[in-house]
Amino acid sequence: MVVVFSLFDADRLPNLARSGISPTNTMNKEARLKASINQKLTETGERDRLKELLRAKLTECGWKDQMKAQCKDVIKQKGLEHVTVEDLVVEVTPKGRALVPDSVKKELLQRIRAFLTQHAS
Amino acid sequence: MSPAGCPHVNSFKVDNWKQNLRLIYQCFVWSGSAETRKRKAKSCICHMCGAHLNRLHSCLYCVFFACFSKKHIHEHAKSKRHNLAIDLLYGGIYCFMCQDYIYDKEMEQIAKEEQRKAWKMQVKAPSFCAAGIGEKYSTWEPTKRELELLRHNPKRRRITSNCTIGLRGLINLGNTCFMNCIVQALTHTPLLRDFFLSDRHKCEMQSNSCLVCEMSQLFQEFYSGHRSPHIPFRLLHLVWTHARHLAGYEQQDAHEFLIAALDVLHRHCKGDARAQRFPLGRSRGWRGVWLWSDGERFLCVSADDNGKKANNPNHCNCIIDQIFTGGLQSDVTCQVCHGVSTTIDPFWDISLDLPGSSTPFWPLSPGGDVTALNGESHSTGATTLMDCLRRFTRPEHLGSSAKIKCSGCHSYQESTKQLTMKKLPIVACFHLKRFEHSAKLRRKITTYVSFPLELDMTPFMASSKESRMNGQYQQTVEAFNNDNKYSLFAVVNHQGTLESGHYTTFIRQHKDQWFKCDDAIITKASIKDVLDSEGYLLFYHKQFLEYE
Repeated sequence: MVVVFSLFDADRLPNLARSGISPTNTMNKEARLKASINQKLTETGERDRLKELLRAKLTECGWKDQMKAQCKDVIKQKGLEHVTVEDLVVEVTPKGRALVPDSVKKELLQRIRAFLTQHAS
Repeated sequence: MSPAGCPHVNSFKVDNWKQNLRLIYQCFVWSGSAETRKRKAKSCICHMCGAHLNRLHSCLYCVFFACFSKKHIHEHAKSKRHNLAIDLLYGGIYCFMCQDYIYDKEMEQIAKEEQRKAWKMQVKAPSFCAAGIGEKYSTWEPTKRELELLRHNPKRRRITSNCTIGLRGLINLGNTCFMNCIVQALTHTPLLRDFFLSDRHKCEMQSNSCLVCEMSQLFQEFYSGHRSPHIPFRLLHLVWTHARHLAGYEQQDAHEFLIAALDVLHRHCKGDARAQRFPLGRSRGWRGVWLWSDGERFLCVSADDNGKKANNPNHCNCIIDQIFTGGLQSDVTCQVCHGVSTTIDPFWDISLDLPGSSTPFWPLSPGGDVTALNGESHSTGATTLMDCLRRFTRPEHLGSSAKIKCSGCHSYQESTKQLTMKKLPIVACFHLKRFEHSAKLRRKITTYVSFPLELDMTPFMASSKESRMNGQYQQTVEAFNNDNKYSLFAVVNHQGTLESGHYTTFIRQHKDQWFKCDDAIITKASIKDVLDSEGYLLFYHKQFLEYE
């Protein structure tokens, strides 16, 4: 049974408050702040722009190639027939996070800060 | 991870599943329009914990979003027996029965199409263009024909970091080192190499005299793996045929050969088989009239102020134009009304005057930006390439004897002229004018000019000049703009005098290995050897290329 997602049927999406589940109440202040920032970024399309910028930066500095090499190692280790995406995510994510150059982190933070000051409400 | 797909998708593939899947992609994965983005921002949170991170997935059977990392979507899948979910970040389909992401051909096709659609919509938005983001990168997938070719030709060549493929000596056929040195530079121009090795030239010429075909052959010879020097007699014959002024056994100028070769290649790329008079002056790096002392050669006239050009640059998209053509902006400012008349000319190389020539190098004209932007000091120490470029782009007072008709003042006024780069080519060739052919003397200027391994052309851009004039000295956007950064990949040197000399080339192989090409002899060189050399033609390649 497939539910039709109609573009104009926005009210079909569950109103969480009505159904009694209110996840925002269970979130602390920091989580709510993160959520609202994410909302703003997504709405304006800035999130997608930043994602592409980040993608370009990480390719330029060779991070993408490093990750590719890491993935190849994991695949060799586990065997091509048995390895799952989850294996790769678990093994490569911590290394990936650590290997992001500080300059890239700085640039992205700068951009986000600039965006937030522009859209302060 | 079975390439055959997963059997559990069959229960999903019923009724109008394709349209439904497309809607999911459009609304929640790759939102192209402002309204879908708004909806995505509001509704894409975990129905159990409210978080928007943690690898959010959407159930494919009902309206339910949940975290993957916290296993919230797993709970839903188990309790409702809904076995498929889609990753809202990357669009991958997860099957809870197979316990892995699955790759169904039909679903992959839909995903790819929706991604491309959303991308196209986003790229049109002005904010996206400003960010400098172009065509979406997608990995190469071979066509049926290419797969066929690969299967028929199973021999593979492994390129290791110390592999010398692409290096080959060239026999000197009698003072032909001027040609050999340029051939070495061209065969090591990465984009040109890629063009020819992927067989992109479709010849339209009837006769056997297509220089592009010969170039293609040359690349095949260089990358064949043969180590014996190649004898370029066919190339020499074609050059004599198409550029008569270079024929003969005497030594020619390598720079002239470069321009002639680029011109012929450019013409043959268009499939024009008609013999044409060689339109010299293709290189707009020269300013003013430049007459060669050899009677057979032609005049090169720079664009006059009405914008009339010596040759008409037809908008061409051949590989030569794509790689080598840049745009040089010339601004003539009336000293009275300060109106600016701008023209943009195409160029293949930049010819730079050197200190020690009869044209004065320093001091700069009034109004010139003497304070170095890179903190260099030019009063002491060797002249640098940056110095030469600064001089090239300085505002030059045209003097009272060369008044320009100003369209604002409707009369002849004194003016200043300034050159800046409007559009940078992918390969920038700098020609240091070491050979002086003035009426009084013919000599070689051997002043040492130091040139860098990496070059940033930002200070010489027309856009930089505009922002300087508007008082903005430090543009934060420039920090993110890597578009003007270049890396050195070939250096042509001339040893000896005007009467008898010899050309050699340093070329870059792989990332940091340099080799010296002296006709048939190839030797390993150090970066120091390269940077200490005199330098006559300097070839720089853009560091970052955008897809168009």
